[in-house]
Amino acid sequence: MSARAALLAGWLLALAALGGYAVTHLRVSGDLRAFLPAPRTPLQSLLLHELGQGAGARTLILAIRTPDAARGAALSTGLRRRLAASGAFASVQNGGGGLAQIAPGLLPYRYLLAPTLDHHRFDAAYLHEQLEQRLDDLGSPGASLLKPLLPADPTLETLKLAEAWAPRAAPPLRHGVWYADGAALLLLETRATGFDPNAQARVVADIERAYAALPDHAQARLQISGPGYFGVVVQTLTRNTAERIGWLSALGLLALLLLAYRDVRAVLLAALPLASAAAAGAAVLTLVYGQVHGLTLAFGVTLLGVAQEYPLRLLSHRRADTDPRDTARLLGPVLLLAMTSTAVAYLAFFAAGVAGLAQLALFTLCGILAAGSSTRWLLPALLPRTQRDAGRSAALARLARAVSRWPHARTLALLLGAAALPVIALTSAPWWQNDLSTLTPVPLPLLRQETELRQALGAPGVRYLLVIEGTSAQQVLTRSALAAPAFAPLLRDGALDSLLLPSTYLPPITVQRARQARLPDRAQLHAALAQALVGLPYRAGVFAPFQRDVQLARALPPLTPQAFERTPLGGVLRALLVQRDGRWFGLGLVGGVRDAAALARAAAATHGAVRLVDLKVQSEAWIAGYRAHILRALAGAGALLALLVVLGLRRLRPALRVLAAVLLAQLLTLAALRVLAGPLNLFHLVALLLGAGLGLHYALFFERARGADAAERLRTLHATLVCAASTLLAFGLYALAPLPVLHALGLTVALGIAANLLAALLLTWPRGETPC
Amino acid sequence: MLLAGTRVLAAPAPDRAAALVRGLARPAPARTAYIEVRFIGMLDRPLVLRGEMAWLGGTRLTRSVVSPYPETTTIDGDSATLQRGSGAPRHFTLDHAPELKDLLGGFVALLSGNAAALQKTFTLHAYGNSAAWTLDLAPRSAAVAQRIRDISIDGAGTAMRCMRVDQADGDTSFTLLGALGDAPLPAAPTPAALATLCAGGH
Repeated sequence: MSARAALLAGWLLALAALGGYAVTHLRVSGDLRAFLPAPRTPLQSLLLHELGQGAGARTLILAIRTPDAARGAALSTGLRRRLAASGAFASVQNGGGGLAQIAPGLLPYRYLLAPTLDHHRFDAAYLHEQLEQRLDDLGSPGASLLKPLLPADPTLETLKLAEAWAPRAAPPLRHGVWYADGAALLLLETRATGFDPNAQARVVADIERAYAALPDHAQARLQISGPGYFGVVVQTLTRNTAERIGWLSALGLLALLLLAYRDVRAVLLAALPLASAAAAGAAVLTLVYGQVHGLTLAFGVTLLGVAQEYPLRLLSHRRADTDPRDTARLLGPVLLLAMTSTAVAYLAFFAAGVAGLAQLALFTLCGILAAGSSTRWLLPALLPRTQRDAGRSAALARLARAVSRWPHARTLALLLGAAALPVIALTSAPWWQNDLSTLTPVPLPLLRQETELRQALGAPGVRYLLVIEGTSAQQVLTRSALAAPAFAPLLRDGALDSLLLPSTYLPPITVQRARQARLPDRAQLHAALAQALVGLPYRAGVFAPFQRDVQLARALPPLTPQAFERTPLGGVLRALLVQRDGRWFGLGLVGGVRDAAALARAAAATHGAVRLVDLKVQSEAWIAGYRAHILRALAGAGALLALLVVLGLRRLRPALRVLAAVLLAQLLTLAALRVLAGPLNLFHLVALLLGAGLGLHYALFFERARGADAAERLRTLHATLVCAASTLLAFGLYALAPLPVLHALGLTVALGIAANLLAALLLTWPRGETPC
Repeated sequence: MLLAGTRVLAAPAPDRAAALVRGLARPAPARTAYIEVRFIGMLDRPLVLRGEMAWLGGTRLTRSVVSPYPETTTIDGDSATLQRGSGAPRHFTLDHAPELKDLLGGFVALLSGNAAALQKTFTLHAYGNSAAWTLDLAPRSAAVAQRIRDISIDGAGTAMRCMRVDQADGDTSFTLLGALGDAPLPAAPTPAALATLCAGGH
């Protein structure tokens, strides 16, 4: 085995080992919250938790569309059974179950849980009025429903509780299940968080498999809706588009490089430093963090676009019949300067204090160092000698002459920069795009369908949340019970479809005790009932079970949250009453908000006991905070970069030229973005950062060419043009994608390359004669 | 009418019952006064309700109570709305009470003369002659049979006189229709007396 073959084999092995280590050990999380700044207060921590894990975010709605209600009901029932058995869901509701919703364990507590005793006493007058109404009930068509309840519950407390606990705006039942607008509806709560697209994808696959296994499923159509499902749709859409464009640009890149170098072996070998960058970055992340957010990885791979430059520079600078190692030696200093200044600039990101940014910096830094070093010290030993020399190209020479003769280059640069500033400052579009949803392009019909289904089901929305804070569960329950009447008018007037407060399910112990104290004792109740029954046709002794249950309720210990959570309804309360960092929080889930202002007024009227949280505003504030971190990191990176360039070039004038070119390019890109893209988002910022890295390279290599002979200048121009064209191919195609994320990335990088090339040609490209 | 009735009762048993039901058909809206007497176990005297029953076409049926208190129940397929006095209307679904659904569905089928619909939920038997017949409905579904033991309808010619529902828990109700629905009732009605009245005796 020759030394060259051994080196190649060793390199490939190392790549495989690093890559294999990263692939098997690095956990890629899809949870967007890991990318947000760390919460500072218990409330922030709770909201961050709610954003992905709250009932709203974990809700999926299924619609089984068929005009045949009976078939829809059969499918709904079958699907519910399968999904409930799968264990992936905290709850699966389809409207079935009816009055049995009140768990038998809670029945004895009905007089403590229902509000009747707050306003009435079980005295002769009240009981008489109730028993008269029951007589009318016995004459109504629904008598057979009520008859079994009456002996133990003549005041119908169980029905009052069932009504309070049932979804207020529930759709009508057909054949025992929810059925509206030609579809049987199911309301699911996944155990997986809403912002974990991978987990949600498994859930969606489970649902589809369960549905496909039902008999006659082909006679109806299953629709899925909900934030989790949208995450899956968007992820699939983005991945598919990115892959399609990725393949297209990879083929274009291969063709371009083969055309530029006419050497298959060299082009294939040139891929090794980039592969090394990715493998090294991922391996170090695995070692340090063990887990990385998918978005960090995507941003990191984008930023590695800089690393692609190094091997291409080496290929372009080769001379005819010269050992590539000599070429690498000659390029060494500028390669080193370009690599270290770019990499070191990322150190500023560590100071930002956001885990996602630190990971991004580490990944990119390691990747760039790996690509640069392997280009400098490993790749040259493998490259074949070439007969071609870009320095002898007549076409390039003509182009170089034309560029060099460009008149008033510096004045033009100054004018361009001066023109960019007012464009940046005066464009009327807002500076920043904080709305996360504009980045996740959920197809509009899906969103419309979601709104309709949520309304039909009276399901809690994802946007608004009422929050009650307290030092204990009982304090929160008390505040919740006191605040509840403030929202009753909203429900009555239709400003709100539904509201679930913790006290809806469990009144505080004080209230339970007060109700208990109003229950009559055995003798009192006996006398009251005897008097109430006068003139009514009830048989003697019919209400003995009622008398027994009232006595039982008088002796019950009040129901605690812990005891309530052990009942089948416990899951609901667990979602509404949570402890976080030593504080207790009660959550009010609101559904069908038609008048947000009225909701805010009602919350304000509770004097701080209940706070209305707009999760959209909250998440936008977080995004803004995150961006502030990035901007600060960018400023730090810029300062570090300037320092390194000055130190590396050792002379002020060349350093100023290089930095001026980078600055001008950024201004031009920003101006173009303001006009073309409007408000900027995180993806624009990351792409701008990549543009700055590329621009630095163009300027540095052009600056080096000022001290070189004519042939070396041509090789530099060749290298820069190939680099620019290949980056444009790799990212520019994304600009054509309909997805906002890819479009933002592609457009910014394409604009950045054009601006950087122009700025470097105007400010750093050698003018006048060669020095020798 | 007498001739038609004779022909009906001459047909084989199942067809006879079906033909009898078809003969009951009235064009919608079909209205009839009624008196309902309910004998309920937990009460020591029967509930007596007077009002009007109306089939509005399709699966829509209203049952208005005039005395002893005003109440209107509107049934449309599986859902029902109950309005009592000036209170807010209460909506409920018949899905929780399959016996109620079959009972009301049966009523609609009888008023519209829809024998096929009736035969889906009940097994039919017809007795007697055209001047005084009895149609017996036995629930087909086991769930319904647990609540309703038997329904029997007495009639003459193409008119129903009376519908008796025997529930599994021993409660019984009589609904007197047509001419009987307007007639005065014995002061203390008993099931036996009402059964005689329905059968055509006095």
